[in-house]
Amino acid sequence: MKKGKVTITITIGLVFLILTAVMFVQFKTINQTDITSLENMREDELRTEISSFKQKIEDLNKEITDTDSKIAEYQKAIDSNKEASELLSQELEQQNNILGKNDVKGNGIIVTLTDTNDQKITPEDLRELLNQLKEAGAEAISINGQRIVYDSYIVDISGTFISVNGKRIVSPYEVKAIGNSTYLESGLSKKQYGYIDTKLEEGKDVKLVRKDNITIEKYTGDLNFEYAT
Amino acid sequence: MIAIAIVIGCILGAIIGINVPTISYTYSGYLAIAIVAALDSVFGGITSVLKGNFDLKVFISGFFGNAILSILLTWLGVKLNVDIYLAAIVVFVGRMFTNLAIIRRYYIDKWSKKKVKEDIKNENEKETMG
Repeated sequence: MKKGKVTITITIGLVFLILTAVMFVQFKTINQTDITSLENMREDELRTEISSFKQKIEDLNKEITDTDSKIAEYQKAIDSNKEASELLSQELEQQNNILGKNDVKGNGIIVTLTDTNDQKITPEDLRELLNQLKEAGAEAISINGQRIVYDSYIVDISGTFISVNGKRIVSPYEVKAIGNSTYLESGLSKKQYGYIDTKLEEGKDVKLVRKDNITIEKYTGDLNFEYAT
Repeated sequence: MIAIAIVIGCILGAIIGINVPTISYTYSGYLAIAIVAALDSVFGGITSVLKGNFDLKVFISGFFGNAILSILLTWLGVKLNVDIYLAAIVVFVGRMFTNLAIIRRYYIDKWSKKKVKEDIKNENEKETMG
């Protein structure tokens, strides 16, 4: 074989070696590259991407403003709801005061009835006193710590005890009443036929004291209806 | 002999190409242009062999020169913001088709001439037989 032919053969072999090597490198690169990843995008692709993102940002900003205004509206609604619930809770408090479910304070009078050797205090005396107090405008009444509520009762148990709200109480009976103390006092101490005078005449021990800041405890039992709806 | 060299070169090249690490995607565009240029040179070389005016120096210089020049032009196009690589691809691929057409015609001619010769031969045989 001639020397020139060997050179040609080797050269052409090398040329094809280089060509195929480069081609396979290229194949491999294209195969392994993720075209959608940011680093591999062309400049114009990136530009369109950026502009679309800008658009998206604008849209989102708009959405944010919308949502903010909605939040403000809701906040307003919440505030007005708060006012409403405050009003409601105030009302509830008042209703509970009226029902006797809360301790209440106020100016009023304390009437003390004590058993003596000759004359015992009867439930009738207490009931009459309650009526008179209510007539005089008493807002809250208790007898020996038993709050008088709408279903309170005062009864005699076998002639020995007086029961208020189902609890036995004994002498001295301390009746607290909150209300306009002047009215209460004058209502009870009318001359001749007033409660105090009548009872004193009967020989019973009755004392009336005006007092500021009386505390009347709440009703401790249940206030539930079972049958009435 | 040359065919064996080409086959060995291709196999070795494939092995090397598979084992070499990949290049960055940014530069793969340049490499693709270089490959197209090189393929154009190869087809041009085949054509010149068939025509009988093959010159190794021309082939080698065309092979590497075209590849490097196309890479440079593509780079320049990127710098100038003109897609010069499109022009390079049009030129190279167009020339590849031309060369392929020449190669195709050459072999078709060769084949049909052979057939004609065989036909004449057959006819002659028939005549002698008859």
